Amino acid sequence: MTGLLGRLIERLPLDFRVLYRQFMLRVIDLEALSIEADVERFLGQFAGVLIMISLISALGAFFSTIAPPTTPEGWLALAWHMEQSAVMNMMLVVGLLAVIGWDATFPDRRDVMVLSPLPVAPRTILLAKVAASGALVCIAVVALNGASGFAWPLILGTNLGGLPGFLRLCAAWWFTVTAASAFLYCSVLTVQGFTALLLPRRIFLRLSAILQLAAFGLFLAVYFIEPSFTSLAAIAAAKDSRWLACSPAYWFFALLNQMNGSWPAGFSWLAWRAWIGLGTAVCGAAASLFLCYKRTMKKTVEEPDLVPGARGWHWTPRLGTALQTAILVFSFRSLTRSRQHRVVLAFYFSVVFGLAISLLRYELSGPTPLPVTPELIIPTILMMAFSVIGLRNVFPLPISLTANWVLRTTQVCPSEKYIAATRRTQLLFAVLPVWIASACLSLSFRPWIQVAEHLAVLALLGFAFAELSLIGFYKVPFTCSYLPGKSNIQVTFWGFVFVLLILAISFAPFEQSVLDEPLGYAGLIAMLGAAAAGLWVFNNHQAKAAVLYFDEPPDEVITTLGLVYQPQPKP
Amino acid sequence: MLEVQKLYRSFRGIPAIEDVSFQVAPGEIVGFLGPNGAGKSTTVKIVTGMLRPNDGRVLFEGQDVSKDMVGFRADFGYVPEEAHLYNYLSGLEYLQLVGRLRGLGEAAIEEKAPRLLKLLHLESWQYSPISSYSKGMRQRVLLAAALLHDPKLLIFDEPLSGLDVVSARMFKDLLELLAAQGKAVLYISHVLEVVEQICSRVIVIAKGRILADAPPSDLKRLMSLPDLESVFAQLVEQQETRSVAREIVEVMQIAHG
Repeated sequence: MTGLLGRLIERLPLDFRVLYRQFMLRVIDLEALSIEADVERFLGQFAGVLIMISLISALGAFFSTIAPPTTPEGWLALAWHMEQSAVMNMMLVVGLLAVIGWDATFPDRRDVMVLSPLPVAPRTILLAKVAASGALVCIAVVALNGASGFAWPLILGTNLGGLPGFLRLCAAWWFTVTAASAFLYCSVLTVQGFTALLLPRRIFLRLSAILQLAAFGLFLAVYFIEPSFTSLAAIAAAKDSRWLACSPAYWFFALLNQMNGSWPAGFSWLAWRAWIGLGTAVCGAAASLFLCYKRTMKKTVEEPDLVPGARGWHWTPRLGTALQTAILVFSFRSLTRSRQHRVVLAFYFSVVFGLAISLLRYELSGPTPLPVTPELIIPTILMMAFSVIGLRNVFPLPISLTANWVLRTTQVCPSEKYIAATRRTQLLFAVLPVWIASACLSLSFRPWIQVAEHLAVLALLGFAFAELSLIGFYKVPFTCSYLPGKSNIQVTFWGFVFVLLILAISFAPFEQSVLDEPLGYAGLIAMLGAAAAGLWVFNNHQAKAAVLYFDEPPDEVITTLGLVYQPQPKP
Repeated sequence: MLEVQKLYRSFRGIPAIEDVSFQVAPGEIVGFLGPNGAGKSTTVKIVTGMLRPNDGRVLFEGQDVSKDMVGFRADFGYVPEEAHLYNYLSGLEYLQLVGRLRGLGEAAIEEKAPRLLKLLHLESWQYSPISSYSKGMRQRVLLAAALLHDPKLLIFDEPLSGLDVVSARMFKDLLELLAAQGKAVLYISHVLEVVEQICSRVIVIAKGRILADAPPSDLKRLMSLPDLESVFAQLVEQQETRSVAREIVEVMQIAHG
């Protein structure tokens, strides 16, 4: 099989193969990765995460056989719930892929400048880019459904129709998740392509960054807000619901069931929407890509190298001393103007955003006024922690190592002042927004005295988190060289999540219990205040002797050669 | 004002510079010359505090700079060889960043930065990102940043690189004015004609060692050569360039399938 595939690939034109390989390594936005990043390893890790999710879901399928539903309605509810989850998860993953690989399918200035002088036809570039993006989506589809896409059809299909039922559901499942992925990816390409075609290039480049973040927020918000319909009655009750009519996830859920023969005839219009949406998205993407390669490449070459910039809004608020203002403004501009930093931060903020959306949904659905309960305390603490750790994990990513000489030659203040400025950046960009969001999410729905008490606790926790995150951080954000893999992020991240969850779940009932007890509450505040102050004093003390560094020192490794001298026994 | 004493620095045991000593007095423009890999950049990195010497020291106004690097940094301006800048900032934003890092007041930055950019013909582009600037424009931004805080010592590493004829001429006039105001200038360049015109003294370094330290006129007289280029070629034992060029053409013409 591999040999046949290899021979087929060898028949493809050499320039296509070379470009495909190059674009495959760049399908994750070049600017979103550090220059030393190993893209193949990154893709492997990405696929590994999806396979793990798939395995967990498959395991759920087999566990469901231990206590199976006893009625046909129960089986239907289980089937619909899992099918909706499969479609929604697939669309979320592909949506996030589209965001991470933003612009990767379209020709950029580098492609035009590097490839234009070479004897390569634009259509070869287009086909290689489309093939690379398509390959990435295929990896996602296979990895996310590799186990669950067989386990669930096996359990559900066999129950409803034996072996033919399994085969039919399996085919419907795989076709639907592939179609849903194609629909979403092509929709994003269509929007991007036509925006690029209709707008002047300079405006498009600015709007593209905003669109990227908007798409990111939209995919997450929809995923967390979408209701689940697990019975015919629920579907019938929601006949006029906007969610049902407008959400592509339900269209493809209907398509899956239509193909499986388990969809009520009165709602086939939902499945038709999936077909129409898929056709429109694929045609739109093809047309926009074709036109972009016809027009944008030419436009890119013809655009002037340098045009005067507009003055814009250049007011800078005083944010402390000159040095603090410099570091804060530098950090803000780095975060907002570097795609790499935006995408990494967005990953952590997606958790914050998801928690905020879930909390809002809970607040809107519950009776008002609700007391401050763990349902509010836990999400807000998690939001604060993820925000702080997210920003802290973006700080070490360098933005332009070669330009760091500026910071080295202009260091006219002691290192502790730089560290204090970094702390202020952490407080302003990570702690304050979450604190304000938490206040907005709770003040309208809960008793204000309890909310104020919780906000005071949250502020102290935020300060303590910020101090904890900056222990040993003696560098200016975004300026130190980065050793990929040193922090072993995939292990530390899950470890952090695990510990944090346990702490938050344990802490929330305690906080709730003292909110109406002045003495207990005062004790809690005193304890948190002391912890925060202690960390602040510790960090300040350490900072006095610290030296700013711009190069991450590599770990000293002792390599054993395994050469062992074994004297021969004397005869 | 600046005194470099017996600097030694090696990388993985291979000496990059050895026994490098020289002085730059106030009001003096000193040319620092040498072929590629001679040790110029290593010396400059040590002087600017970006690299620590294995041995030797750098004195500024009689004080060892390693004991008060923060104080020393406040007194020098530096234009590096490569125009590495934060490309996502505009020219004005870059100057604001440098001014704030140097502790200048907002009012001073607001007054000086736009004026310097205007005088360096960057007014129209001051809000454009540096990524779109030409090499000469980046060089002018670096120049503005080096002058922003009115330093006593200026270190220019190939400052004319990419500058157009008018800007280069203006720069030469600027150097003379700065020297007249008592600034000490260390000027690293490969453009020997300019060095000969503006430098009061020339230091030649090759293979990590100082070979000569004298005014250009003295060097020409002592070696009985007509210009600084000939003096330089003889001092650094430059290879015969014509034969190398001929070899390059031969390699280029090797038949390929």
